[in-house]
Order: sequence, then C-alpha cells, then structure tokens
Amino acid sequence: MRAQSKHQLTSQRFFHDVLPTIIFLLPGFGLFFLFMLGPMGYSLRMSFYNWNLANPEMSTWVGFDNYIKALNDPVFRHAVLNTLIYTIITVSVQMVLGLCVAVLLNQQIRGRAFFRVSYYFPVITSWVIVSVLFEYLFNGQVGLVNYVLKDVLHITTTNLRWFIDDRLFFVPMTLLAIWKGVGWTTIIYLAGLQAIPAELYEAATVDGANGWQRFRFITLPLLRTTLVYLLIVLVIGGLNAYVSFFLITNGGNPLDRTHSILTWMYKVTFLKRDFGYGAAISYWLTLFVFLISLLQLKLLQKTADY
Amino acid sequence: MRKFFSNGWTYFFLLIGLAVVWLPLWYMLATSFKTQSAIFEVPPRLWPNPFTIQNYVDVLTTNHFDRYFFNSVKVAAGTVTLTLLVSSMLAYVFARVKFRGRDTLFSILLLGMMVPPVMLIIPQFIVASWLSLFNNHWGLILVYTTMNISMQTFLLRGVFELVPRDLEEAAFIDGADSWTVFLRIILPLSKPGLAVVIINSFLYSWEEFAWAQILIREESLRTLPIAIANYQGEHLTEWGHVFAATMIALIPVILIYLIFQRNFVQGIATTGLKG
Amino acid sequence: MKSQKSILKLVSAIITLAVFLTACASATTPVADHATQQPAANGSTATEAPAQSPASIAKVTVTYWHSMSNPETEQFNKVIAAFEAANPDITIESTRYASDDNSFQNAMVTAMSSKTFPDAARMDIAWVSQYAADGVLMPLDGQMSDFNAISKAVFPGPLSTNFYQGHYYGLPLDTNTQVLLWNKQVFQAAGINEPPKTLTEFADVACKLSDKNKEIYGYAQGGTYFWASAPIFYAMGGKIVDDKQTTATGYINGPQSVAAFTMLKSLYDKGCMSPNLLGGGIATDAGHGEGKYAMIIDGPWMVDKYKSMYPDFQTNFALIPTGPDGTTSSVVGGEDVVIFNSAKNKEATMKWLSYLMSPDAQRIMAEVGIMPTLAGLQNDPALPPYFGIFMEQLKTAQARVPHPKWSQMDDAINQAYQRILLGEQPVQASLDQAAEEINALLK
Repeated sequence: MRAQSKHQLTSQRFFHDVLPTIIFLLPGFGLFFLFMLGPMGYSLRMSFYNWNLANPEMSTWVGFDNYIKALNDPVFRHAVLNTLIYTIITVSVQMVLGLCVAVLLNQQIRGRAFFRVSYYFPVITSWVIVSVLFEYLFNGQVGLVNYVLKDVLHITTTNLRWFIDDRLFFVPMTLLAIWKGVGWTTIIYLAGLQAIPAELYEAATVDGANGWQRFRFITLPLLRTTLVYLLIVLVIGGLNAYVSFFLITNGGNPLDRTHSILTWMYKVTFLKRDFGYGAAISYWLTLFVFLISLLQLKLLQKTADY
Repeated sequence: MRKFFSNGWTYFFLLIGLAVVWLPLWYMLATSFKTQSAIFEVPPRLWPNPFTIQNYVDVLTTNHFDRYFFNSVKVAAGTVTLTLLVSSMLAYVFARVKFRGRDTLFSILLLGMMVPPVMLIIPQFIVASWLSLFNNHWGLILVYTTMNISMQTFLLRGVFELVPRDLEEAAFIDGADSWTVFLRIILPLSKPGLAVVIINSFLYSWEEFAWAQILIREESLRTLPIAIANYQGEHLTEWGHVFAATMIALIPVILIYLIFQRNFVQGIATTGLKG
Repeated sequence: MKSQKSILKLVSAIITLAVFLTACASATTPVADHATQQPAANGSTATEAPAQSPASIAKVTVTYWHSMSNPETEQFNKVIAAFEAANPDITIESTRYASDDNSFQNAMVTAMSSKTFPDAARMDIAWVSQYAADGVLMPLDGQMSDFNAISKAVFPGPLSTNFYQGHYYGLPLDTNTQVLLWNKQVFQAAGINEPPKTLTEFADVACKLSDKNKEIYGYAQGGTYFWASAPIFYAMGGKIVDDKQTTATGYINGPQSVAAFTMLKSLYDKGCMSPNLLGGGIATDAGHGEGKYAMIIDGPWMVDKYKSMYPDFQTNFALIPTGPDGTTSSVVGGEDVVIFNSAKNKEATMKWLSYLMSPDAQRIMAEVGIMPTLAGLQNDPALPPYFGIFMEQLKTAQARVPHPKWSQMDDAINQAYQRILLGEQPVQASLDQAAEEINALLK
C-alpha cells in the first residue's frame, strides 16, 4: 500500500493497493455501521417522534418538540446542572492532584514502580465495584465516613445522610470519581513529563531559576499537549457519568434531584417509556460533548505549533 | 532528574496518597471476610472479627458464580482478540494509506467516542436480534468491540505512525505484500501500544453491565457484573457477599494488569499524546 | 503473484470467519434443561433429562420469565422438573431476572422493541393491566380450556387483578400481603410482651423503642414507594381513588389518607422511624434481623430470607394494628402469570399455565413462602404454619389501583411522600398535588 503517483486504475494496482485497503477497512467499518452509526441514526429518528415502541409505524411526528421539552424540563435542567458541577469538580481536582503525584513520582526515588502500580490500581476496578464500595463507605447509618466524622473527629454531631441531600451527595460522587481516576491522569502526566528533556532544566538551574520558576516556565508550557488531552477526555467522561449515579442515587432519589443527564435519560426511556424524549435528551448530550470536544481540539491545534 | 522536594517530603506525600488510595480497597477486602452481623456493627472495624471465609464459599458455590466467571472470561477473550484485530487493521490504513476522504472517514470514526453508549441500547438490541445474535455471547463481543473501535483505532494510529517507514519500504521492495508488512513489521514494533489496547478492551468487556443485562436472556450465559448486582438484592444488601464476589472478579483484572503493566506506561507515552 | 495469493487467503479467512459467526449464532439456542443443570436438591429424583430422549419426540420449547429470589428459583426447578416429566414433549426455558423492577421491566421494553417476548411470564399484579393495554397479552378466558375451572378455584381478589376491559389476561399465580414483624427480644428487653394492637399503640411503641443516636428505631419502612406505606395507609382508612376510578380528589387527599401520612411524618420527625427509607441507610430486613429496627412490615418471604441470612433469628408476625375505626387492613400483592400474543406454541404454553395453577405446583412453591391462590389449599397441611396469619390478613387486605398507568400513580404518591418527609410541603398540600397528578392519569 504505497502512495501512488499514477492515477490509472490498473488491475495490478487494484489487487495490490486498493483491495487490501478495502479489506483492512471492512471489518471495522462494517461493525461500526452496524452497531454504532445504524443505531445512532435510529435513535435520531426516534427523537423526532412520539415513538411507539410496540408499533413503530404508529409513531407520530413531533419535529423538535422533544428537544424543546428537554429545555423546559426542570428535572433535565437540574440533571444538567448536577452533571456540570460534577464534571467541573472531578476534572479540576483530578488534573491538579494527578500533576502533583506525577511530579512526585518523577523524582529518582526508590520504589517508583511500586507507587506507580499502586496509584493506578483504582483505575482498573470497575465503576460497579467502586460505586458499591463508596455506597458502603458513605452509608447514612453505619458508614465508615460517618463514624470517623462523628465519633472520631467529632466534626459532626449526627450521622449525615449523604445520599438523600441534593448537595451533600456530590461529596461521595466526586470523591468516587477522583479516587478512581487520579491514577490514570498521573500516568498520562508522567509520560508527558518524561518527554521533557533534562537539559532544559539543567540550563535553567544554571541560569539561577528556582524550583517554582522551572515548573512555571518549562514544565507547564511543555505539558500543554498533555493538559489539553486530559481536559478533553476527562470532560467527556464527566459529562457521560452514568454507572455511579445509576447505582448510588437509585434513579435520582429523592425527587429526581440527584440525576446525571444519562440517568435521567435512562429513567425517561425505560421507566416512563417515552422513547422519543429519551432519544432527544441523549442527542442534547451528544451535541454538547461534540461542541466541547471541537472547542478543545481547536485549543490543541493552537498549541501543536510548538 | 530534577528534584523539587527533598526525598523525605516526597516519600511523605506519596505515602499519604498511597494510604488514601489503599484504604477503601482494604476496607472492601476486610468486609468480604466479615459475617453478616459484623457488617453493620458500630464502630466499624478495619479488620474482621470474627474472621470468616463463608462469604467466599457461598459466592463460589451458589448461583452459578463459576459459570458467570467463565462466561466473562470467554467474552473478554473474544472482545480483546477481535478488537486488536479490527482496530489495528483500521489504524494501519489510517496511518499509512493516503486516499481521498481519509480524514473525513477518520472523523466519522471518532464520532464513536462521543456517543453515550446507554442511548444506543434499544436500537442495538434491534440490530442484534435481527442478526439472530440475541442471547448469544457473540452479540456481546461484537458490540463491545464496536464500542471500543474508535478509541483503540485512534490510539493505534498514533503508534503506527511512529514506526519508521524505511523498514516497510525495504520490505515492499523485497516483494512483500501489505498483510506481511502489517504482521511482521508494524505489529511487532508496536507492542506497547497493543498492550494498551489489550488492557482497555479487556477492562471494558469485563465490567460492562447494561448491555450484558439486556442482551443475555439465558441465565447460564450471563456475565460477572450481573452476578455482583444480583447480590445487591432489593431488600437485603449482602455486603459481605458483594465484596467477596468483587474480590474474585478483580483477580483476572489484577493478573492482566501485572502482566502488561510494564508495557503499559510505555504504551501510554507513545499513544496518549498524538493529536 | 505473491500479493494476489495472500489477498485471496485474507478474503477466504474473512469469509470463513463470517460463516463461523453465523453458524455460531444459529447454533446457540441452548436447550436449557434446568432439571439437569441444577444439582438435585433434597434428592428429588424427577430430574431425568427429557431433553436427552430420542429425537423421535417433537420437542417444543416454552420460554418463561420471572424474577423470583434465589431460594424461590431453586425451588422452582422442582416445578419445572415435574412438569417436564409429565410432558416429555415440552421443555421449559426459564429466565430469571433480578428482583428489582429495573431488570424485568427493562427486559420487557427491549422485548417489545424487537418483538421477542417470552411465551409466558410471571409478573407483578400491578403490571398486568399495563401490558394488556399495550396489546401484547393474550386474553385467557375463552381460549384456555380449563380457564373457567381454574378461575372458580382461586380467590376472587387476586383473580380480579387480571381483568381488563372485559377480558382476563392472566391467572393469579400467587398472592401475598404484608403483616407486622416484631422483634420479640427487643420488645421484651424494653418490658413489652405483646405487639401493638392499634395504630396509636404502634406509634407509642415505635417511639419507646427508638434511640436515634444509636441508629436504633422502633419502625422502618423499605422505601417511599406506595407498597411500603400501603398497609398502614389502608388500616387508617385511606383510599387512593374511588371504586369506579374516576377521580382521586377526596380520596388520596381525603382526611383518612392525610391522617395516615401525618402519622408517618411525625414518626419520622421524632426519630421513631428510620431515615433509611429515603435511601442510603440500612435495609429493613438487615436492620430488623440485627435488632436495629424493632418493627417492620413485610411479607411471607421473610421467613426463608432469614433462614439463610440470620439462621438464629425468630420471626414474629402480627396483624397490622387497627386504625381509628377498629379494623385492620393491609395491601394485596402477588404475581400473575400471563401469556403473550406472540407465543409460538399456545397449546403447550397453556398446558404450562394449567400446571402452574395446579395444587401440586402451588404446594411446592408454598414451601418457600409463596402463597397459593387456590382457595382449596387454604387449610392444606403441607402449607407452612406461618401462612396462617397472612391468610387471616388477606381477608381484610385491599388491592392497589388496577389501572394501566398505575406505576405513574405510584410515582406521584411516592414523590408526594418524599416531599412530606423532606418538609417541603405540608401533608395536605402534598397529597392535593398527588390527587391532581393522578386525576390527569385517570383520564
């Protein structure tokens, strides 16, 4: 498969270059069309109808009504707010903490590998496992956290009901995500840090720069690609929060106030059986994610000119 | 390497962080050895007393846990293999072949990373049953692979682009075909990247819940996450059993991680940063 | 040329893969013979695998969905085995879904989208009218030969849950209700020897046995869904809608309903009722078994549940305490068995239903706490002794609203209750809102 300058489609060219290309692309795109694009299209179609699942041909066209319904839906708006707050908190903390740990791990210390492996461990556990674990830790009656806060540190006088308060619940939810994700950001940062040539630092030290100045003027700028990449991936992940919210808030309990965008979509689709509306909600999210990714990619383009 | 802090402080902070990371895991492990009554005791203990392995015994011997475990292994193996194959083939084309519309095609592929999987469940189910794939592990494998294609192809393209072209050129001149070049040159030189793909696709398959729950009807074909969720019954939360099951489910994860982790960090370095 | 050869190799490899794929897919319709897959419990011998009989018998498979608990599912295999032994040409393929509403309803949704319903299913009585309204269930009256015989043999209340617009869309498989469970040890430690007889006593005792600071409560509810409050609600004389299901005004927000929720709210505020019902706490069964919740209200399945979780625990049942007018009441629960319109072998499926409704099958399931709907079995010696109190309570228990949109009405009451507990709306206003929402659903 070499780049060809001739444009004639000889039979040799076909068998030599074009056919292999097609064959290499076929399985992947086959699967992709079948299980991704096809269903996406179907879902998009559903969003423009008052979709009747049992008898699709009886669905009635409603145009953009479902989309507008979402904007006027107080639960949806609250879910968006929850998801945004969650994303902002988890992304910023992970990015800062991850960098700190990476900087620490970048030193020549013994046991680096051990620390690296350990810090990464929560990343490989599943969301199901971590959610169940944090549910137990933050249990409103016998959880370890409450015990420590009330009986050991005496910071609180009563057991806090973490999961039924629409503000308190952010604590376990964000801690969960941060605990699970920091290891991953650390590893990515580490890779980025290790790509910075040591001579730059040496030169700077010779010029009299101290630790902080070295960090600000060498490390951070050269980490920019890493930073943008992390930002994109973490934000997409945050906006798509689902499993932990699903398992812990038990459907936005109470009063649909602790939903993420996707758990509300789930409830609308599977429990209220309003399929068109559910599809519209998911497309709002997709659009949002798409726009944010575009924005961040533009940022990346700018910084790639280093 | 430069030092920001003296070694003492470094160790200090790292160790604190380590404790924070390990404490919940330890608590989970400890709870898996507690009796049902001990689980709700106040004050909660960090070490079970009395110590019991009954939870593990129960999990392993009842409700076909072993079968769910085996099913998960089977599906994971299939997913990893297929994902490796398919995404590396795609990545090779995107890394090496220039043709019109290539970038557009690649962008379409990237779309896959932006879609929340949950929204696709119903239409995917319709497609799967149309292909007679429902109640079938291949239905899981194919969908899991599809959900992974975008990310893994993106990763591998970055890896492949880094492979020096002269080796390929030499091979072509010697009369090798694309398939041989792919197998004998590109892949072996991209092992770290492939390791990342293996870990990613394995993890995805091992812990996926929603699709497995919906597609697999036959109980003997179900996968692990369902087993763990089952222990969280509606009325009684059998935490001891849940955590015992969790621990058992973590063993292959730990194994794969330890086997590949040396390649892993290297792999991240070469794949994570390509735009 | 070398390259062409290898391309052909590749193409044939892909074709082989595709063939393999489809072959795999079509071959995997497992003959789920649960009789042989499960280890035979209690030496039950009727586990010969009919599936291994010679291919000369044309085998028919009936698919059946349910969401029974673990011990119930184990027991159910005996029922399947017995049926298959008596009907060697029929295989039952039973699929179990987790007991939470999500799994089963989810599966129903996806089945609907791809038209892959099971042949028959065991579902909560509250859902039958919904699926009947969707048009996916087969009316059994007039189709099943022994329908009339069976319907005369069952309790009329449970049977009525299958009725929708002139037809019966299912048969009542089992029934149940909730009664008071009281922890004798906790009671006696406080010097009380008898469970409360009236709801006023109940409220007193609940508070007496509570110690908020130690997370010990006199009473706990499983959640804020209607099923949890229903027994007390009905015992206080509360009603949701009128008998003709035309309006909720004056019923769900009527004086007795308001009184019921006011009582519950005051128990919650005073720390006499556990806050777990809003989520994130200790579940009622664990709490009761541990002695943290002196009283809970639950069903006959608790006996078997406690057998495995707290083997030393002794369950004590009592009738729901009486309301202001001196009568007790509770809520009727249970499951119906239905047949879907899309069933391939209606004859075989109906045979399966008949068997499930037979005294034999119902006796087998009674052993694990599933109460029969056949009136004739009422005093059957094979029934566990603790059924007695449930049968007694069933005499005064009331059904929830048999309406296709019941789950949304449940939601309305659920949310009203949450607003009440969280102090966001006074009881009357909250129930007024629920009444409005239910009225909209009744149209």
